[in-house]
Amino acid sequence: MTSRHGGEGRLPVAPAKPLDASMTLLTEVYRRPLDPGYAEAAAKKSGGPVPRSVRSVSTLVAIAVVLGLGTTAATIALRQPASSAQRAREILEAQIQERTSKADELQTQIDDLTTQVGTLQSQVLGDDDLALRDASNPVAVESGVVAVEGRGLRIELTDAPTDDPDTQDPTLRVQDVDLQVIVNGLWASGAEAIAINGHRLTAMTAIRSAGEAVLVDLVSLSSPYKVDAIGDPVAMQPALARTSAGQHMSTLRTTYGIGVQMSSRSHLELPGTGPVTLQDATVLGAPESPEPTP
Amino acid sequence: MIAVVGLLIGIVGGLLLQPTVPTELQPYLPIAVVAALDALFGGLRAMLDGIFDDRVFLISFLSNVVVAALIVFLGDQLGVGTQLSTAVVVVLGIRIFSNAASIRRHLFKA
Repeated sequence: MTSRHGGEGRLPVAPAKPLDASMTLLTEVYRRPLDPGYAEAAAKKSGGPVPRSVRSVSTLVAIAVVLGLGTTAATIALRQPASSAQRAREILEAQIQERTSKADELQTQIDDLTTQVGTLQSQVLGDDDLALRDASNPVAVESGVVAVEGRGLRIELTDAPTDDPDTQDPTLRVQDVDLQVIVNGLWASGAEAIAINGHRLTAMTAIRSAGEAVLVDLVSLSSPYKVDAIGDPVAMQPALARTSAGQHMSTLRTTYGIGVQMSSRSHLELPGTGPVTLQDATVLGAPESPEPTP
Repeated sequence: MIAVVGLLIGIVGGLLLQPTVPTELQPYLPIAVVAALDALFGGLRAMLDGIFDDRVFLISFLSNVVVAALIVFLGDQLGVGTQLSTAVVVVLGIRIFSNAASIRRHLFKA
């Protein structure tokens, strides 16, 4: 109790029972945070300066140096792991950005070359073989090689709203099978060309999932998924409702809370996939050879 | 004042030498540093109050760090390490805040 005497933090003389008797610890901590030892030492000093021996001074200095050293070492040690993890993260981020920009660059190169190939192709065919060109155009559209535009339907799928994306039930997310069913329904109801989030679907495109991401043509996409289909929207809408895709969409909406929005668009532009690997070729107009060349 | 000079020498030496802390001590470092901060703020306030004392400063510094590390050690042994660390941080945090408020009143008269 001696520590209560002297010092600026002296508590007022308490009545028989202070109101905050149950919070003495908090009051103590909050009202008098300064170590009472300082006040005591000051009171002792006021009686007259206490002479100090060389030994005690050197002990004090030694303790002070050790404490400073220890605190600095501790601070450095605490900061180091964070900074090394941070550095690794930065390196990875830089690598991701570099690779992504390289992939983008290559993609633009592919697009350029595709346009060149298209121009050259129409030059070779020329004006004199209109019939051949007419025959090759629908093939190019169906195979997804060339970009197309026109009227169509847009179906937008969004993951069910959630508070914490990390713990979300995977069934509340749009999955690869949902997109597969809808795309198949669109083909069945007369779509001429389909793209998901700007990725054109061809006969060779796979819609799969890897972990939580949906992969379309090995490119991972995320919600919202925009499925654009070119075709006659007036005919496609009721046709789609009759397929299993229509039922699937209403199940998604009502049972899982996944956002499904269908709208007809007067103008949609779908990109082409670029040149595909040629695996089988026949001369147009010529009789098909029965045995394919290996 | 001699304690402050010694402490500064230690800090500069630590920055230059970059000593490594043994891994067994690693879990106690965060609390120990907070306790050291508390002692530093207490010393600064005492200095402004005009009652600074080398001995009291160093002893409070040392005992703060040791007791804080001890509490965490004890808590780890009892399986309530995180809770006890939180308790220590809360108490030291309140002290640091009120000392800082007192220092502010001294410096800015507000």
